[in-house]
Amino acid sequence: MGFWDRFLKIDRRWIFLVVWIAVVIPLIKPLGLPTHITPPVQKLYDFIDDLQGEEKAVLLSFDFDPSTMPELLPMGVAIIRHCFAKKIPIIVYGGLYPQGVGMAKMAIDMAKTDFPDIVYGRDYVFLGYVPGVSLVILSIGESIQGTFGNDYFGNRLDTLPLTMSVDNYEKIGIVVDLSGSSIPAAWINYAYQRYGCRIGCGTTAVSAAQYYPYLQTGQFVGMLGGLKGAAEYEELLERNGIPTGRREATIGMDAQSVVHLLIILLIILGNIGFFYVRRRERRV
Amino acid sequence: MHISTNPWVWIAAILTLAIYSFLYKDNPFYKFAEHLFMGLGIGYGAVILWYNSIIPRLWNPLAHGTSPSRFYLLIPVALGLLALSIFSRRYSWLIKYPLAFYMGAVTGFSVPVSFEAYIFEQAQGTILKHSMFSNPWLGISNIIMFIGVITTITYFYFSKHHKGLLGKSARVGIVYIMLAFGASFGYTVMARISLLIGRMQFLLHDWLGIIK
Amino acid sequence: MILFILFSTITVKAFDTPNDGGGSITIKAYNVPETVKKALVYRKTEGDTTYTFAGVMSILSYRYVDANSTIKNGKPYYYRVDFYFPDTVISVESDSPGIAYAQWYDKTKTSSLIFLIVFSTLVLVFIQLAKKDPEGLYIRKIPALDAIDEAVGRSTELGKPTFFVHGLLGITDAGTLAALTILRRVAKKVAEYDTPILVTNFDPIVMTASQETVKQAYTEAGRPDAYNEKNIIYLTYEQFGYTAGVDGLMVREKPGAIFLQGYFFAESLILAETGHSVGAIQIAGTTAKEQLPFFVAACDYVLIGEEMLAASSYIGREPVMLGSVKGADWGKAFLMGVIGIGVVLGTVGAILQSAGNGALMNVFEKILAFF
Repeated sequence: MGFWDRFLKIDRRWIFLVVWIAVVIPLIKPLGLPTHITPPVQKLYDFIDDLQGEEKAVLLSFDFDPSTMPELLPMGVAIIRHCFAKKIPIIVYGGLYPQGVGMAKMAIDMAKTDFPDIVYGRDYVFLGYVPGVSLVILSIGESIQGTFGNDYFGNRLDTLPLTMSVDNYEKIGIVVDLSGSSIPAAWINYAYQRYGCRIGCGTTAVSAAQYYPYLQTGQFVGMLGGLKGAAEYEELLERNGIPTGRREATIGMDAQSVVHLLIILLIILGNIGFFYVRRRERRV
Repeated sequence: MHISTNPWVWIAAILTLAIYSFLYKDNPFYKFAEHLFMGLGIGYGAVILWYNSIIPRLWNPLAHGTSPSRFYLLIPVALGLLALSIFSRRYSWLIKYPLAFYMGAVTGFSVPVSFEAYIFEQAQGTILKHSMFSNPWLGISNIIMFIGVITTITYFYFSKHHKGLLGKSARVGIVYIMLAFGASFGYTVMARISLLIGRMQFLLHDWLGIIK
Repeated sequence: MILFILFSTITVKAFDTPNDGGGSITIKAYNVPETVKKALVYRKTEGDTTYTFAGVMSILSYRYVDANSTIKNGKPYYYRVDFYFPDTVISVESDSPGIAYAQWYDKTKTSSLIFLIVFSTLVLVFIQLAKKDPEGLYIRKIPALDAIDEAVGRSTELGKPTFFVHGLLGITDAGTLAALTILRRVAKKVAEYDTPILVTNFDPIVMTASQETVKQAYTEAGRPDAYNEKNIIYLTYEQFGYTAGVDGLMVREKPGAIFLQGYFFAESLILAETGHSVGAIQIAGTTAKEQLPFFVAACDYVLIGEEMLAASSYIGREPVMLGSVKGADWGKAFLMGVIGIGVVLGTVGAILQSAGNGALMNVFEKILAFF
């Protein structure tokens, strides 16, 4: 059996091992590869930044569960840090999935360590889970107090300064939805089309490709796609002097780049092997 | 190296390794972790639903509220209970009522906004406008996009045989579709690797403390 | 003097926000000099002596929408706007109160209403036509349908069974219904060729429907005696349990042809790869667009999204599905026409505008704004 035959029949567990090595080594010995900012991320950053002093809040919705946490949680932490640093009021919404509440709480706890002067109720509010998906999005357009009643901790929303002044989409500058499913499309349908509220999106790389049409039409202000999008946002925070804490997404990008090169190499070798074996069989 | 002393981190790390052991071979550790995950996911969701939704939004207003309008809550409760009739052979037809209400309501508020979001806005975005040619590269990109939209729609046109101009257009459409699939595939590979990187970061940083 | 001029030119109007469900008043300012730095809006009701802060007016549009939850329909609200200039502040009160009302009809949705009526009418007309003469409505043949015969034939030659793997959604999903129609075609072929078939199911209700479909197909092929209910099996309602079960069957039975039809999730590539590794010819069909790249990479033929529905219409000629496909086609043709006309109008309008005639461009922009 020639080299290419053996290569094409290689046990996939060897490939798993090689991929694992390609992930672990850059994590242990970082390469320090630069992060270039792409326009969709820059647009989202600029839009949120411009809300400073506008007396409009950011609504950050955590619509994901732990299975997509590595990609989406760093985005959430970075956006919360951005809002804390620039004193932009932020409503952290535990999301349209039950598991999103845990994710949102983790993000807040990770972000607020560098901002001791942040006051709950004035600078940020944490809302819990309410079932209904599209109905919740529509209901927020009428009244946040009416939709939720209390925050996650049981405080009445009509006693918190932030939710007393921000009660519907009129006072929300942007909704940023972090999701690995089709929930961002629901925010466009009901919050943007119906109420004119601007929407930004943080999504897993799996779903990023399908959201580019919305970016192109302007239905999304900007988009963070996958771990790279999160790393770009962290880079923007760093460039603008905002504390970033442990830049999880950026740390992961070295490994991401190395593995991508490995996969490209394997695909090229696999195709060479495939065509070589096929040509040889045809000759025989 | 600073190994974590938090028992929850240890439990998460052991379960992570148990799940990844499947890559070598199916085994009882993997099966245990998988079933634990399934059960926990359902249980956690049920508890969140109970404490975040049913108690504050249904039970408390009905049991402790004072407003007479709170009894309107019984109407959606009744509809919801009718949905459970699916378990009875004799009365399963009752599920048609909540389904009809739900489908009617959802269709009513989603169809107009779906037209706007998925059809009108996208069609507007496809129509080439003067502003799309503010720089040459942008202009070329928009022309490529325009050709792609038209040819891809013709590929999915089923009322005429694909020959002549329509056939050529559909063939171009297929090229665009395959390019889109390639991009989507590449993105998916990136996503899966990102998840692996996230887990490795947890094991190496949170659990073993090998990386900063 | 300057103050007097500024004060006399700025006007503020408060009026009901149009095309809404009530509870909202729009405040608009006119003739505001460009040197304004900010504008704050204050509100009071009848009987109030003082104004309370309502919000910040945009100094780009000079428009503020007061949609505070305290705004009641039918009640008059008075507004004052404080304009902050570099060296002075001008307060202007609205000339009349704003009263919020709910409108029955949102005029901005007229385009959606027209499109809904036109599109629905098309679909209903085609459904009626399909009921009268199903064969009269032309649907082009989908290339993957020819592959069904080829695949079943290959299985027969090799003496191997044919597998039909259902997706993970239930009987209410359009893709699952289309898969059942395709199953009928496959089952009829295997009955004619006397090839064993195995149908795996994720959902028990889909399994029941599959049993009926296969039984009917065998009867139509004249082989009711060959039908075996045990060939249509329910595995498990758990995603990766189902995947593991199907993979195990593929590896043990080594089918000659595999049909992966329905809505799949993350297990799609696992199934397709395993099928490829046993050397089967694979025909996939799914409406799950995230999974299509994997099927295209690993399978021999793929029914992409709507092609699956069109294929089932082609096979089954069921009036509702057939009428829907035809109506959708007309909708697509209309959309392409609109885009094409829009491009022509926009291009010619831009050329004329640069030559000094902006009339056509105005028409183009009005049409765009209507949608």
